[in-house]
Amino acid sequence: MACSNHVAGSMENRSFIQRLIGRPEFGPLVLLVVELAVFWGINPDFLSPQNISNILAFTVELGLIALAMTLLMTSGEFDLSVGSLFGFSPVLMWTLYNSGVTSLEVGLLAALLVAAIVGLVNGWFVTQLKIPSFLVTLGMLLVVRGTALFITDGFPQRTWSAEGSWLANLLVGDFYIGPFRVYASLFWFIGAAIVLGYVLTQSRTGNWIQAAGGNPLAARARGVNVSRVKIGLFVLSSVMASLAGVISSLRTSAANPNSGTGYELEVIAMVVIGGTALTGGRGTIIGTVLGILILRVMRNGIVLIGVPGLAYNIFIGAIILGMMALHSWLERRHQAGT
Amino acid sequence: MAEPLIRMQNIRKSYGRVQALVDANFHVNEKEIVGLLGDNGAGKSTLIKVLSGAVPLTSGDIFIRGKKVSLRSTSDAIAHGIETIYQDSALVTQLSIARNLFLGREPIKPPRFLNRMDQETMNTVARDLLREVGISKNIPPTTPIGSLSGGERQAVAIARAMHFDSDLIILDEPTNNLGVAETQGVLSFVRNARDSGHSCIFIAHNIHHVFQVVDRIVVMRRGKVVADDIDPKKTTVAEVERIITGMSDKEIRDAVADGKPAH
Repeated sequence: MACSNHVAGSMENRSFIQRLIGRPEFGPLVLLVVELAVFWGINPDFLSPQNISNILAFTVELGLIALAMTLLMTSGEFDLSVGSLFGFSPVLMWTLYNSGVTSLEVGLLAALLVAAIVGLVNGWFVTQLKIPSFLVTLGMLLVVRGTALFITDGFPQRTWSAEGSWLANLLVGDFYIGPFRVYASLFWFIGAAIVLGYVLTQSRTGNWIQAAGGNPLAARARGVNVSRVKIGLFVLSSVMASLAGVISSLRTSAANPNSGTGYELEVIAMVVIGGTALTGGRGTIIGTVLGILILRVMRNGIVLIGVPGLAYNIFIGAIILGMMALHSWLERRHQAGT
Repeated sequence: MAEPLIRMQNIRKSYGRVQALVDANFHVNEKEIVGLLGDNGAGKSTLIKVLSGAVPLTSGDIFIRGKKVSLRSTSDAIAHGIETIYQDSALVTQLSIARNLFLGREPIKPPRFLNRMDQETMNTVARDLLREVGISKNIPPTTPIGSLSGGERQAVAIARAMHFDSDLIILDEPTNNLGVAETQGVLSFVRNARDSGHSCIFIAHNIHHVFQVVDRIVVMRRGKVVADDIDPKKTTVAEVERIITGMSDKEIRDAVADGKPAH
């Protein structure tokens, strides 16, 4: 067939550079390098060990949510309730602990369990009642945030008792590598990125996730249990948001029922900037890691070079629009087989 | 006489008060390509949906090689060796050829708990299958389906059915929206599938395509099978059109001239 020649020829003749440029991660990588160069050029302190340590500390907490969201969005769904779980889970853990009902460790397990149930409910509504994930998780956002505010009367919880706890050391213990202050959460993030990257690209489950987002009818026709895949990813997303909230709470010694407000949109932006398709079917963990760094570096860098912090959203909006245009162009080239 | 591969007997399917199938009888023999024809609303899509497990029948029996079976889902049908290929919904465009071929049945590399796909095996088998189904050009198995033409996508779907030893491959409008060369390619893929021992049901609006590839033509009208043993070598397109519409040649010409649907 005429087209066969065309496809085969184009595939074989593409050079390494062309293939690199064609990858969805290439655009975010270039943007990150440009960002780093510009901020460093304007203010050399940007790449100081202290500033890098600061960027990484908070980056990994939002990053954990973004990694799970990448898989969920690849399956064609997304979760707006992650920000509220980020705030709710530490509140629940500390409330249980402070009232003497459980130990800190059991409080954490209870928080993760409740988050898993929230994910299960989200998944059940989306897959069994066929309600769009936008509406389901928006409703859940209000339920979870409302619950956090209700059980705390809107006040932050006492958190100082965590000092010296093995759990706190395991999740957010810090140490120095040369001049860099490193939190244990960075290793949790790296571990999660490696595992979820493996799941998405190498495992059978990853193939099902991509198929569930790309063409659920075809996936079902091949015997893939699309509903089970999506429910599992909703649970993963909720549990990761819960874990991120607990890590953040232990690191900052604060458990505010309002924390995490707006994180859902920032996390989705990180994932989309990294090259994962909002419509599902295609996702990249490497891209998401780049997307996380792009937004966190931007937030840190514009303050450091003297731009008012309130202007942050202007830059983020511009980045999202620019990256969407780039990904759309790459997708069209990809579909055309060039 | 040998038992046919598939026998559907007195099949009824109602949607509320609408009778989509009325005591339809239909069979497919081993290594046979059957062309299923009928006007819009004749019931051929419903018959195929029943056979592929997509919709439950209201009453009637289905036999595979003489053994009565119950097809409650598409997974049931696949397990019984019945593969349905819809033109637009058979493949995931974002996935590669190899990953589409093995979707749902990916080979796993040891140790199994790592759940790691054996991509080398998948690519090797995909390359061989594409050759077997009749694609002579060298398309890498890692090529995304979205980069392929409509005909090549049909070839991949047929190759998949052949690899997993489906006894019956149902092709729903496989030549829709394809150019002349692509159509000839798809027809040759279907012949190759038959020559490899698979049976096929070929559904197409274009009767000329059906005539080029099938061994036998079955015509449905108003939920019933009205002719089930038409030899394409011994009849004409006009004669089959007459059976489809239930009208004489003159009535068809008059209906076309009046702009009325030919029922």
